[in-house]
Amino acid sequence: MANERRRDPSEVMRDEMVMKGKIASLLREEPRTIPEISEALRCPAREVTLWVMALRRYGVLEVLPKAKADDYYRYKLANA
Amino acid sequence: MDYDVLVVGGGIAGMESGLTLGDMGYKVLLVEKEVSIGGKMILLSKVFPTLDCSSCISTPKMAATAHHPNLTVLTYSEVEGIVRKDDGTFAVRLLKKPTFVDPAACTGCGDCELACTVAISDKFNSDLVATRAAHIAFPQAVPKKAVIERAGSSPCNFTCPAGVKAHGYVSLVRSGKYEEAFRLHMEDAPLPGSLSRACYAPCEGQCTRDEVEGKVPIRGIKRFMVDSYYERHPEPEYGPPEARNGKTVAVVGSGPAGLSAAYFLARRGYGVTVFEGGPEAGGMLRHGIPPFRLPKELVDRDIRNITALGVEIRTGTPVGSIASLNDQGFDAAFLALGTMEGQGMEVSGRELSGVLESMEMLATGNAGGRMDLSGKRVAVIGGGNVAIDSARMALRMGAGTVAIYYRRSRAEMPAHDFEVQAALEEGVELHELRTPKRFFGENGKLVAVEWLSMKLGEPDASGRRRPVPEKGSGVTCPADIAVLAVGLKPNTRPFANELGLNRDGTIQADPETLATSLPNVFAGGDDVTGPSMIIEAIAQGKRAAFYIDRYLQGLPLSGITFDARLTSVDGKEVLDRGDVPPSARAPVVPRELPAAGRSRSMEEVEKTMTEEEARYSASRCLDCGICSECHQCVAICPAGAIHFDMREERKTLEVGSIIVATGFQLFDPKRKPEYGFGEYPNVITAMQMDRILSPTRPYNAVVRPSDGMAPSNIAFVLCTGSRDCTVDNRLCSRVCCMYSIKQAQLLMGALPLADITIYYIDIRAFGKGYEEFFEQAKGMGVRFVKGKVAKIGETLSGNLRIRYEDIHGDGGPVTAEHDLAVLSVGLSSNPEAFGLFPPGLLSADPFRYVREVDEDLEPGKTSIDGVFVAGTASAIRDIPDTILHSGAAATQVASFLQRKRAAL
Repeated sequence: MANERRRDPSEVMRDEMVMKGKIASLLREEPRTIPEISEALRCPAREVTLWVMALRRYGVLEVLPKAKADDYYRYKLANA
Repeated sequence: MDYDVLVVGGGIAGMESGLTLGDMGYKVLLVEKEVSIGGKMILLSKVFPTLDCSSCISTPKMAATAHHPNLTVLTYSEVEGIVRKDDGTFAVRLLKKPTFVDPAACTGCGDCELACTVAISDKFNSDLVATRAAHIAFPQAVPKKAVIERAGSSPCNFTCPAGVKAHGYVSLVRSGKYEEAFRLHMEDAPLPGSLSRACYAPCEGQCTRDEVEGKVPIRGIKRFMVDSYYERHPEPEYGPPEARNGKTVAVVGSGPAGLSAAYFLARRGYGVTVFEGGPEAGGMLRHGIPPFRLPKELVDRDIRNITALGVEIRTGTPVGSIASLNDQGFDAAFLALGTMEGQGMEVSGRELSGVLESMEMLATGNAGGRMDLSGKRVAVIGGGNVAIDSARMALRMGAGTVAIYYRRSRAEMPAHDFEVQAALEEGVELHELRTPKRFFGENGKLVAVEWLSMKLGEPDASGRRRPVPEKGSGVTCPADIAVLAVGLKPNTRPFANELGLNRDGTIQADPETLATSLPNVFAGGDDVTGPSMIIEAIAQGKRAAFYIDRYLQGLPLSGITFDARLTSVDGKEVLDRGDVPPSARAPVVPRELPAAGRSRSMEEVEKTMTEEEARYSASRCLDCGICSECHQCVAICPAGAIHFDMREERKTLEVGSIIVATGFQLFDPKRKPEYGFGEYPNVITAMQMDRILSPTRPYNAVVRPSDGMAPSNIAFVLCTGSRDCTVDNRLCSRVCCMYSIKQAQLLMGALPLADITIYYIDIRAFGKGYEEFFEQAKGMGVRFVKGKVAKIGETLSGNLRIRYEDIHGDGGPVTAEHDLAVLSVGLSSNPEAFGLFPPGLLSADPFRYVREVDEDLEPGKTSIDGVFVAGTASAIRDIPDTILHSGAAATQVASFLQRKRAAL
């Protein structure tokens, strides 16, 4: 992470419109955590976080309950 | 007097003082620069030390403010200046910024936000998540109305002569909304297929992205959009409009200008007949542009966009006079004859067989005919795009050699360089600085051309250097065919006795309204402007339709704005928007047929992008204007509340007194780069943490921004930017200790297993219940470490290494690792207050807050008689103190106004 080239958040946010379909395709297969989406898309997790949170905000994604011991939430496609 | 009191600022201080005065019966105008009142308090999760819900306290105040009979609230407005008049009242200059949403109609449903295709950072969520260019500020906003964020016209949108919203359809393609993109294009120009192939794309010439690594290929994206749409819709989706007005318009000429006018007139309910002298419609699209650049099936499909509206195109029907149109009963006529005739050249031997006008050859080839040029030596004379098309067409007709002769050098060629390059790659030769002196023939057939060498002299009226013949330079070269491509002109001869014409044969028409010398006749396109781009001709047709409609409605043609685009956004401003310059993204390399094989084929040279390429290319758009004008909000708004023609409004009001309630500013933690804010995603501000803890939070839970992990070891760094001489803010901000403790307690509730550490210099727990609140946090397990944090670093996992001075422990520098760090940023003065008045008039205290002339005895009174200050504009206060101070300021205002009334 320390070596990742940082993109301006506004630039990352713009990409949500393009990444939306790719993330939705992944989650259509199965719910995933942000690091799992990040690995599948080969995109930095910090960028995926921004996209996932915006997609959740606008009802594209839903979050699954998390056990206390789990570090990460899993996200699924809304109405999937 | 318009109002007794002006309150500047709609935060908790402004609302409280305004409400107090309103309750006393004074007429109050409250001006807030944001789209909602509520200030910063409404964005907090809870308040300390009671942990009451901040929204629950704020929203009743906000609602009361908005609905109080004595309060007028102006949001999204700014006070541009206040001048104290001789009679002691104040003249206030106000700016009402356009929201592009009719507040009376908007129901706050949020549909526009869901439909919007532009993601922007949400400042009300402290930039933690994206919102949309069309958005409602936050769920509890008052007024709860949408706003469309527009910085101006995107340069691409602004540049397009026809007003095609390039940014709009690019953003729609980026979002995968291809059909919507096509329909948006059709709002402004009806020939998208032809434009997707043959437009010279002035939009791309203005693309800001070109400053990074290359322009967005807007035309290529359009091409994908069009192909995608036409594949799914071989025929238009619509038919003639149901509402017809019973009036008829004749359009003479079926080129882009005529077709465009017909389209827009038909959409307005006119019966339109297009008269075309030739056998097929399309004008230059049909006859001028070769099929290897613009397939004719595409022109056919484009034309069906117009005929589907009920437009009748009568081919093979030349119009001999305006009178004949009047005789047929047309209410108005639009002349769009194009420029289909060559300018000709006065060169000896011009009459020889084999000396052709360019349009003669192009029209033949475009009609599917073929001149037998097998093995012939073709000389094309001219340097424009028509010359290039002619040369490439000659190759495809089997010419043995093709050479372009141009009287200036390549640098001065009017043809686009990429067209010249394409011709050269196909084997066309280019001879610069050559002009024909005479054509030689045998038995009436061209056999050779004598060429003069030219040199470049002084610039002429066009700005290009004038070509001058070099004496004794004649050289004769064999040639079988000479193609004259030295300019085109309209054939306006049939109308010479009825209309005012210019010396070059173009029609005299008003450049704004396109009205000619005859009242019901309008003219536009190349027959008025001379040869131009397709998109310019389409723009003329669109303009003509607008003014013909007004004419036929009996409305004046003057005093109306046809094209009211916002001014263009400055590209440099766009590039400077982010903290980091836009990252470079390699443009998609256009795919073409190989030059070697294509030069003998009419097959289209350029290939269409794939969907992936189109969306990637569209994602390179920088959203210069912010809103792309994709009009999805317009389409979806059930209330019809979106109005892109809304503009700034300015007015001046007279008020009796002023309350400055401009609040405070949060310290920008980027000023302490050693803490890594903006660099390390898991270093956030306390305001961001408050948003994360809020019921209207940007995330689904408390997670860290780097990877969505629920943090288990969180650090608070107190006194970030306060009590700190290194950032010129030595004041204690009074609230940071308590809000940090509040957040720590809330975090312990949200993350019961998490470790919370607060790094502090000393805890300031001075208010009622504060000390108990502090002790309660300790009792809950919050760890307090006395020590100033010196530096924050990042590990490979995104965790943070915090280096601090351990004062109470073993002493010395210590490094601790956390997975999230919260900077408890300080508060500072807001300089905006001083800009309200003439320079120097409103006094500041040594810490740049508004100075109260007698803080102890007359709180709220400033250096200007009749101007008062409320809340944190004068000093940092917590919420209860702000409420108290605002009440005091309101009382001072009431006292001031009463004294004035008594004096009168």
